[in-house]
Amino acid sequence: MRSRATAAATAAALACLLAGCGSSAGGDPGTVVYWDTSGAGESAVFTEIAQECGRTGGYAVDVQTVAFDQALNNFKTAAQGGQGPDVLRADVGWVAQLAQAGLIQDLSGTPLADTADFLPEPVESTRYDGKPYAVPQVTDTLALLYNERALAEAGVEPPRTWADLQRIAPALGGDRAMFLNNDAFYALPFLYAEGGDLVDTATRTITVDSPESVRGLGIAKDLIDSGAARTALDQTNSYSIMKAAFTSGEVAMVLDGPWVIPELSQSELFADGQNLGIAPVPGPGGPIGGHDYVLRQGSDATANAIEFVECMSSTANQAAIAERLGLLPTRRSAYDEPAVAGHPVVSAFRPLVENTLPRAWIPEGNELLEPLKTAYAQVLAGHADAGTALDRTAGIYHETVLDGYARR
Amino acid sequence: MSSAPTAERRAGGPARPDAPPRRRTVREFLQRHWFGYAMVLPVVLVLAVLVVLPLLQGVYFSLTDINDTTIANPVLDRPARYEWVGLANYLDVLSGDPAYGAFWATLGRTLIWTFACVFLHYALGLGLAVLLNRQVRGRGVYRVLLILPWAVPVFISAFAWKYLFNSEYGLINWLLELVGLPGQVWLGQSWLALASVIAVNVWLGVPFMMVALLGGLQNIPGELYEAAEIDGANAWQRFTGVTLPGLRSVSGTVVLLGVIWTFNMFPVIYLMTGNNPNTRILVTYAFERFFSGATRDYAIASTYGVLILSVLLVFATVHRRAMRRQGEEL
Repeated sequence: MRSRATAAATAAALACLLAGCGSSAGGDPGTVVYWDTSGAGESAVFTEIAQECGRTGGYAVDVQTVAFDQALNNFKTAAQGGQGPDVLRADVGWVAQLAQAGLIQDLSGTPLADTADFLPEPVESTRYDGKPYAVPQVTDTLALLYNERALAEAGVEPPRTWADLQRIAPALGGDRAMFLNNDAFYALPFLYAEGGDLVDTATRTITVDSPESVRGLGIAKDLIDSGAARTALDQTNSYSIMKAAFTSGEVAMVLDGPWVIPELSQSELFADGQNLGIAPVPGPGGPIGGHDYVLRQGSDATANAIEFVECMSSTANQAAIAERLGLLPTRRSAYDEPAVAGHPVVSAFRPLVENTLPRAWIPEGNELLEPLKTAYAQVLAGHADAGTALDRTAGIYHETVLDGYARR
Repeated sequence: MSSAPTAERRAGGPARPDAPPRRRTVREFLQRHWFGYAMVLPVVLVLAVLVVLPLLQGVYFSLTDINDTTIANPVLDRPARYEWVGLANYLDVLSGDPAYGAFWATLGRTLIWTFACVFLHYALGLGLAVLLNRQVRGRGVYRVLLILPWAVPVFISAFAWKYLFNSEYGLINWLLELVGLPGQVWLGQSWLALASVIAVNVWLGVPFMMVALLGGLQNIPGELYEAAEIDGANAWQRFTGVTLPGLRSVSGTVVLLGVIWTFNMFPVIYLMTGNNPNTRILVTYAFERFFSGATRDYAIASTYGVLILSVLLVFATVHRRAMRRQGEEL
């Protein structure tokens, strides 16, 4: 979800797969191989902290940067063959499927199982079958990012509901009010808007085509049709177009997460985070995202890897990451550090991540997004209404993604 | 063994009446030719290991429910748990169900993609080859420039074209708007996405056709053109009467190759449009199934692999028959 599909990374990873990638340190128990999947602006900080952990802990750390979009596949291929990193930075949506496949370690009985200090919702993402399989690294959600000057000039407040947006859009120049990224993760706030969701894990029911979900996704189309928002119908370029439109002042508001803020801050309009407003997503809330540390099953450096993850997720290091990158800690105690408490991005996002809507932490969770991505694009392009598109999505979920789930 | 009599004759003299003739000729045959077989053996073994074995394994997988969670994993001490499901995968795929990639619609799209690409490759390649097959000043420079698309790695070209096709900030829409035409959403949810990837693939593939056909053109004896000219044939008649028949054997080969390559052309589509159903062809769908499932669906991906191979085999057979009917042996 984070870094958009980059062609170069894909091609490199394909070559990588063919060549049998994932050459680890060859089972050296004294070296912890860590696959870092963070973005270009973030990896330097993570690498530095990881190396520092190795220095103080008395083991070697080999940080390998892996493109986010390809990391899951590369890890699976490598781990199947008993290779790959000792520690992986996994998206919260990957943990359950890696645990189900038996590729990561059950952390019960290790010091890493102590989650008392962690925020409850990120901890949910680390559990599979009632057992802990991961340690939360950072958490995040979508927020309404807005151009403070543009909203002040128009004399409007950030919208609290989608109806608010309809109302204030004319003052902001119609469809220049907001840009909707044409991608699945960014469709979730709409799906949730009227109480819909992708699946109901309690009753094992597919709810992506429920009336609530259909109405919710319909809101996005209404916003486009009534000229209160715009989108890019070419899905592959949508995210870069959104960033370009927002940083050039062409649109006043977007939905995006804390990971984009370092990039936005490099533009003239939002230099050093000035002029950038952060407000909750209109409606009931956004989806939770974030990253977890997982330990590969079959790793020879498990003892050191446990120490490494303990060190990386310590309060001090979480606070350092938050201070330098504006990413949100998963430990409560980290928010009490003065440098974190005073950080403008972290403090703006803090109430938002406490109000996120839970996602289904099931092995198939990550795979629910791809069919939704297609459906969302078709709805926004007007090729199918929300009901038809989501009905088709539910069909795909039922036939190929979710085994043992019933249609409504 | 059809070559036995030959070997016998070469060995000299008739077979001794007291020995079984066949056994002796085989031994003699091997005595004469063992070296050749020994030389070929490594290649046969390597091909068997690298091609035949995986192929058979793929066919077998397509008859099971193998995926990420049922495959054996020696590292984790997990035995294989996949089961034989017979033709169930084929029935699912061939039913054309959208949940299994809408096979028939996807096949139709694959055929449109393949034949549009190959036709344009061939037509443009032939045109350029004919232009370059005469004495023009700076011919070498033109040739190098025309080969350029071929020399650039595909993913770089695809990336560059993706930027050109950008609906908001792309050069193509900018040019269209400059001359007063409306900009288009090239890579969106419509047939334009397929047209766009075809355009890019044509751009990429023309150089190969051009080079191959240029080679063919240079093999046509100049006397034929002179004779045709003396007989009063005009330029068009010389083209259809001398050039095209002269190119037939080269054309047959490059068209067959082009069809096979284009049918399985993965990077252009995947890198430019991702999982867009409007540009989905058989091979990109097989990839989707293999890599983007929660449990990688090796079984359906293999089923698609076998079906792709079958379609190409049918095509190659038909093509070969057609060529043979025209008196060309491939």
